[in-house]
Amino acid sequence: MVTGKQGDAVNGQETRKRQARKGQIPPVYLTIGLLVIVTLLFFLGNRNFLSLYNINTILSFSAILLMVALGQMCTIVVGGIDLSVGGLVSFISVIFILLIKPMGYLAYPVSLLAGVLIGWINGNILTRIKIPSFIVTLATGGILTSLAYIASPRPVNLSPSLYSVVDLLNGTLFTVSNVLYIGVAVLLLFYVILRFTRTGRNIFYLGSNIKMSWMSGIDIVKTRNIAFMLSGLGAAMTGIMISSIRYGGDPLVGNAYVLNSIAAVVVGGTALTGGTGGVINTVFGAVFMSLLDNGMNVVGIDQYFQQAILGAMVIISVTLTFDREKTPIVK
Amino acid sequence: MSVGNGASRDSILALRGITKTFPGVVALDGVELAIRRNEVVGLVGENGAGKSVLMKIMIGLMQPDEGSIMLGGEPITLRNPLDAIRNGIGMVFQDGSMVPNMSVTENLFLCHENGFSNLGVFSLRSMRESARALLAELHLHIDVNLPVAEIGPAARQMVEIARLLWLSRLYGRDNPVLILDEPTTVLADKERETLFAILRDIKKRASVVFISHRIQEVIENSDRICVLKDGKNVTEMDASDARLVRIEQLMVGHSFSADRFHQDDQGAGGGKEILRVENLDRAGSFEPISFTVGEGEIVSLIGLVGSGKEEVCKCIAGLEKADTGSIFLDGRRLPMGSPSSAVRAGVGHIPIDRRSEGLALMMSVAENVNLLVLNRLKAGVLLSPARERKNAQHWVAECQIKTPSISTMCANLSGGNQQKTVISKWLSSQVRLLILDHPTRGVDVGAKDEIYKLMRRLAKEGIGMIIMCDTLEEDIGLSNRMLVMKDGRLMKEVDSSPRSKPSPQSIISLIV
Repeated sequence: MVTGKQGDAVNGQETRKRQARKGQIPPVYLTIGLLVIVTLLFFLGNRNFLSLYNINTILSFSAILLMVALGQMCTIVVGGIDLSVGGLVSFISVIFILLIKPMGYLAYPVSLLAGVLIGWINGNILTRIKIPSFIVTLATGGILTSLAYIASPRPVNLSPSLYSVVDLLNGTLFTVSNVLYIGVAVLLLFYVILRFTRTGRNIFYLGSNIKMSWMSGIDIVKTRNIAFMLSGLGAAMTGIMISSIRYGGDPLVGNAYVLNSIAAVVVGGTALTGGTGGVINTVFGAVFMSLLDNGMNVVGIDQYFQQAILGAMVIISVTLTFDREKTPIVK
Repeated sequence: MSVGNGASRDSILALRGITKTFPGVVALDGVELAIRRNEVVGLVGENGAGKSVLMKIMIGLMQPDEGSIMLGGEPITLRNPLDAIRNGIGMVFQDGSMVPNMSVTENLFLCHENGFSNLGVFSLRSMRESARALLAELHLHIDVNLPVAEIGPAARQMVEIARLLWLSRLYGRDNPVLILDEPTTVLADKERETLFAILRDIKKRASVVFISHRIQEVIENSDRICVLKDGKNVTEMDASDARLVRIEQLMVGHSFSADRFHQDDQGAGGGKEILRVENLDRAGSFEPISFTVGEGEIVSLIGLVGSGKEEVCKCIAGLEKADTGSIFLDGRRLPMGSPSSAVRAGVGHIPIDRRSEGLALMMSVAENVNLLVLNRLKAGVLLSPARERKNAQHWVAECQIKTPSISTMCANLSGGNQQKTVISKWLSSQVRLLILDHPTRGVDVGAKDEIYKLMRRLAKEGIGMIIMCDTLEEDIGLSNRMLVMKDGRLMKEVDSSPRSKPSPQSIISLIV
């Protein structure tokens, strides 16, 4: 029969792929393997690398990077990018500390809302004025960095009488830092939004084929705005966490997070072309980046070499995780 | 199997016993193909029969596991497309393979400009002159300074053909082999005629392998026809002996009923009115037009490119905005220019280009099928994976989508199954009116039949349809009623009930 024949052809293709994969180890295991090897090397370099204290440190830093990386992932999946997260992290880091004095605990929701609002502005410049997200966020990132400087030209410290406010994050529960619990909670929030809500699914449809999405009646303005608002939320979370841990804000602290958040996303295997990726991938990416960063300091690698090694490791890990099947043309 | 040594003696290019295996599937199994001098060979077969793998081997994109390629009696190895071009074998791709924002001249000589170089600097003037001369040889009138993006699909193909002819001359091949992969799919009727005229002309100095899903066209324009099925040669025949029905039988492996469009299942149509278009007008596209579509009725819009039929459909689907007039669906007025309102009201649109407009190719079959109905697949506020799975499985079975699983990426399905995925996406959303823009384009014969059957069933369930088809026969065969458009005006309404189908000739006289 005709139909059977076609089915076979499709089946054939599938088996071909499955068998092609059978010969090699699936990418997930390769990346986990890489993680294990790197961990082992650091452990051999310094036995303290796997001390309980250091593991907690690594995971806390992973959680901080993860917040901004999860938001970044949303903008990348929807087919854009958010370069303003650096400026935003700095800005939130400063205003969060400044707001604690007049507002107390209200500084938390206000800072988060500010982040979401800035994401919404980014989204609207993209969707309504129709400027590519790369340019929009490059520009707003600069504006936010300036705003952070204007708010406080130099690092601002929290007066010790107000430490109790940020101890919400600095505290520990069962010897595990609160930052980690909050990180896991936000991670679950992103997971649920992306996997189990219509908006989350729409983000993937849009990244996969925006014209089809529009023709199928998906609200593409709303969906893209939400993706950028999620990015603003993530960056604001990161800003708050950093300031809490340091008991102070810093208008420079966010700079590193533009590239680190993108690196965490791509190391997790998400393609910059959009439409693919997932929360778990990004968790892996954030842990990997933080582990490298910490490990290089723990074993005492020269500061001058660290960026080069980080760069090389990004290339190696993306080589292992990147799903080339879904992205036939690599730009 | 008439291809023996006799055939290959006078052949310019011969593929001998080509076998290509991918793990789990034999794509080509001892395929023989001989191409003689100054000959057009038509290559036909269903999607998945192995045509494209065979072509990829011929242009060096893939290497065969077994078998040999003989050029003028000498075995050759083609490691890459450049090797193939040096041996005078080139391919014109269906969707073009040129640099859109570079000029015709630049594209013609792309990467082979050395002949125009003077101390390392290209002489644009001499390139332009050669380009003009080259196009004049093929009796083409194309402005060589225009960017390729602006010259239209037909002209683009001609430029690619000219480029291949020029390259083969550059490498001293007197009888190049040109492979045309479904060249007519993107062409209007008139352009198709031009293409065939040019093919007849270049036959004097080249051989052509011509692939098309339109069998009639292959019969009319080839000297010999080779049929592939399941990666094997089925038969080879002179085009003069070929009959459409016979070839289709060979391709599919069984025969079609005389009633290819399932006219016996055609309903009376004209039930309760679903769509009413009143004085819809869009300056520059079409003049005020009014018509209705009833429950279970298939209305075909007929007209040449530029007749305005595409634009009318786009306005109904909300993809374009009409200037004046109104569209009513089930008596309720539709807002203009909003695809989301149209979708909510129950207007489905199956676009002509399913890969770029119909599917999220990198996403799974289930995710594509469920796109429009996610709200219904929730448990509480969140999506329920179980319900998603159930809905997808239901529609995969209902529309007979051949897929290994519902989580297979759509990019891995054949054209016909991709199209069925798009259709099922709309069906699951309880669509009232379905606009089908060339529903069987690029779909093989077997899948075509399944899509026809599906359309008949939808009509029975009361869905109204507006169709625009690849061929007039298809329009006539499927529709209850035809609206003939010309230069943006509705010329005539033609009845097309099962027992009194009009002849294609009578329609053609209306549209031109």
